[in-house]
Amino acid sequence: MEEITREQWLLNRRQFMKGAVLAGTGAALAKLGIFDLGPAQAQAGPEHFLSGPTADYEVRTLCEMCVWRCGVIAKVRGGKIEKLDGNPEHPHSLGNLCARGQSGLMMTYDPDRVLYPLMRVGERGSGRFRRATWEEALDFTAEQMLRIKNTYGPEAMIFSSTHNLSQPLFENLLNAYGSPNYGTQRSLCFNAMVTAHLLTLGIQEPARRYDGMNYIILTGRNLMEGISTSETRQLMERIAQGAHVVVLDPRFTKTAAKAAEWLPIRPGTDLAFHLALIQVIIDENLYDRAFVERYTVGFDELAEAVRGYTPRWAAPITEIPEATIYRIAHEFAEAAPYAFAHPNWRTSNFINSFQTERAIAVLNALIGLCPEQGDCIFADESTVSLGGPPQPPYPRVTAMRLDGVPWKYPLVPLKLGVFQEIRDAVLTGQPYQARGWFFSRQNPIMSLPDMARTIEAFKKLEFIVSVDIILNDSSWYADVILPEATYLERYDPLHAVGSRVFIRQPVVEPLGEARSALWIYRELGRRLGLEDYFQYLDEEDYIRQQLAPFGVPLEQIKQVGYFDAPVPERSGERTWNTPSGKVEIASETLRKAGFPAVPVWEEPPRPPEGRFYLLTGKVGQHTQFATQNNAYLQEVDYHTQDLWLHPTAAAQRGINNGDLVRVTSDAGAVEVKVWLTEGIRPDCVYLAPGFGHASRGLKKAYNRGVNASRVHVTFTDPVSGGQALTQTFVTVERA
Amino acid sequence: MALKKRYAFVIDPARCIDCRACMVACRAEWNTPAGQTRIWVHSDGPRGQFPNLSQTFVPAQCHHCEDPWCVSACPTGATFKRDSDGLVLIDEEACIGCGLCVNACPYQARFRNLETGKADKCSACFHRVEAGEMPACVATCIGGARLFGDLNDPNSTVSQAIAGRAVYRPINDQVNTRPMTLYLSPPDASAVQVSPSPRQPVPAETFWHTVALPVVKAAIALAFGGQALAFIFQLFKGENEYEEA
Repeated sequence: MEEITREQWLLNRRQFMKGAVLAGTGAALAKLGIFDLGPAQAQAGPEHFLSGPTADYEVRTLCEMCVWRCGVIAKVRGGKIEKLDGNPEHPHSLGNLCARGQSGLMMTYDPDRVLYPLMRVGERGSGRFRRATWEEALDFTAEQMLRIKNTYGPEAMIFSSTHNLSQPLFENLLNAYGSPNYGTQRSLCFNAMVTAHLLTLGIQEPARRYDGMNYIILTGRNLMEGISTSETRQLMERIAQGAHVVVLDPRFTKTAAKAAEWLPIRPGTDLAFHLALIQVIIDENLYDRAFVERYTVGFDELAEAVRGYTPRWAAPITEIPEATIYRIAHEFAEAAPYAFAHPNWRTSNFINSFQTERAIAVLNALIGLCPEQGDCIFADESTVSLGGPPQPPYPRVTAMRLDGVPWKYPLVPLKLGVFQEIRDAVLTGQPYQARGWFFSRQNPIMSLPDMARTIEAFKKLEFIVSVDIILNDSSWYADVILPEATYLERYDPLHAVGSRVFIRQPVVEPLGEARSALWIYRELGRRLGLEDYFQYLDEEDYIRQQLAPFGVPLEQIKQVGYFDAPVPERSGERTWNTPSGKVEIASETLRKAGFPAVPVWEEPPRPPEGRFYLLTGKVGQHTQFATQNNAYLQEVDYHTQDLWLHPTAAAQRGINNGDLVRVTSDAGAVEVKVWLTEGIRPDCVYLAPGFGHASRGLKKAYNRGVNASRVHVTFTDPVSGGQALTQTFVTVERA
Repeated sequence: MALKKRYAFVIDPARCIDCRACMVACRAEWNTPAGQTRIWVHSDGPRGQFPNLSQTFVPAQCHHCEDPWCVSACPTGATFKRDSDGLVLIDEEACIGCGLCVNACPYQARFRNLETGKADKCSACFHRVEAGEMPACVATCIGGARLFGDLNDPNSTVSQAIAGRAVYRPINDQVNTRPMTLYLSPPDASAVQVSPSPRQPVPAETFWHTVALPVVKAAIALAFGGQALAFIFQLFKGENEYEEA
């Protein structure tokens, strides 16, 4: 019998059949074990029919499962998105996608999507809507917005938006409308980091470079779970190459599991740790004298201020041994300039978080910031200046902002705001009563602390309109829901990373009547008499205007997914975008506003006897409050929804692993299953955010897990306006 | 004819961050039914006592063994080890969904697909590999924990990754199927979690193997034989109808 390989068989079934059909039958029987023909014959067994998924075409676009915006190559078959892969040409994906990015197609194919404009028919919060036409929904929205503007003034309308590429157009809408009241997630996330780095370095969102870094201090920056694909990969690469990573976190995160050192610091005392590092580095002359003299102001004042902040002083505060702090100060300075303390993202932890961030920025400055001249660790992400439609000036706004910026919070950048204050201003009616709320793909009911108060505020309003993809908890309370197309169905404005400019473009046609934000805001602008602010015919026209200065045709960027803008010439001397033009170790701006000019210790509140710190923090499978209804992510988010509790604390309360416990704060209570773990300080409990959705429009996420914002208490950092999420203290008892 | 390939997964648990992107990538690539997965990340939840803790995450999937028990267990030959590259694959058309291979695998790497009723498991994304891409899980792995490639090619990522390093196969005293997944961490930290379990015949299985299976096999053989005879008959009879252009 002729030996025939499977490949030949597949290539030429017919000929084989003819020649070997009798033998084939024998071989098939041999495979069944009826005849023992030995392995050689068995290999010629029955025909093997293998089929793998194939794609009709591919589209290069950008992910939007979080705000990192990885490059995506989307494969489409039969008009349906089959698979998303990371684009190797995008610096944020480097060919990879995280679990969320991989699951992105299920956001488009979520059966709970809002596919048509909806208008409320039942009581607010009843979740009863009827389908409307775009014409009707937009006309009604414009009519209500004009009524509020004409009756109470444009300031009576609140606007709020999530972080997204069409956000500039949303901001265009609210600025043209004339409202100063704009809420973002920033004060619930990174106000402290941005404010501190603006005041110190003149950089608002510092990018980090990992090449060659040997020593990295992560203050709660949980990169292995708060995943930014390329940065997570770069950190892992450095760890694999032997970099020493120190993780300060009251919880044993997956980042801690990968780090050389985990220091379970007492919550809210990271500031003391960094002040002690600064003290040792100054006291023992370990700082970069040349950099400090040339590029910074206020060093002497700092040296004086931190004199008492020794490791011995910090040890009982942080509960980290004195010798450990001392050793890390030395190791960090010795590794310089290939060392940095990570500036973090979400720093909305305690009311001293601003000072913590200042200390981190100053610590980095002390060891020089730049491994090579002009090649800094900390630099703004992109300097490319894109074109765009003509932009008329906005109307002058005279009304006070409801969030207290700047009259209550003088140093909070206008762009950041203090979101939680807006909600409270609706409730108090001070300094004036807001009447309407327009939010774009945002979910304040879940994201703001103290959910009960947010719902109360929503019920007090005359008109609520939302732009959303699924029927989120906040949209549940809206009067009108305008369905936005998903990121795989729409265009957004271009996005530059460094000098490379990327496009987000539709992979498939939108389902139902979902439309892009670019279209929705223009249509609404037209009805509000603001058409001059939206001078583009359609999405493609908008992008063509952005591309105009570069002479790049739309078709080219659609094909390639990006274009490279000319790299701006680097000026010789490094300058800093601060009032002094230098790194401001001491800030006159802070001094004038009545705050300490250099980082100083501020004691955060401690939980009273019998209460725990309630920690929050990311899981690697979800983004904020937006992805819990995703079918693919629900398959892999196991072991993320329980309350973490240390066995010692549990034993004192007679709590066993898996018990249902009641977690109570001053804001409210939740009942949740407990997971006993050695991976958390005995004085802390941890609850992941984003679960326990209250909207019955999210069939898969509704009531799955518990919502931590039911127990979070509202506290605001007076300098940066950040919400102090970890300042919520709770009791835990068996339910 | 080109040299035969010898495909293997090389897994570095030290680089796995338990993000589970690989699991979603696999699900999206193959559209596996809810509740069923072809690949896993084992986690051993922090070990030790506060604050001296450690935790490892160990990715796993079908090991495409050199001595695959699933292949010998398969009554129809649907599960086979491909000559050209060593991948253990399933011919869905030939699979009768009997589940013998599911029981035979000492790694529990197989399951019966709830939608198709057929045996299912990691196929190393053979279609992607044939197109020059990496399997979906490997392509998306952020930490670089999952690698795949040809051990016969000294320049492949897997050959490079294991060069000069100790590698560990997930085997034990009872079971050695010569798995083609090579772990870069010593057994105490990782292989424990992916260690194979010997398949002890349970009473039902004993009955299945000694009585029922031969009967099933005979029935399949008869059915196949009958079909084959009919096919032969048709093949020679209707020559022109079947001629391809």
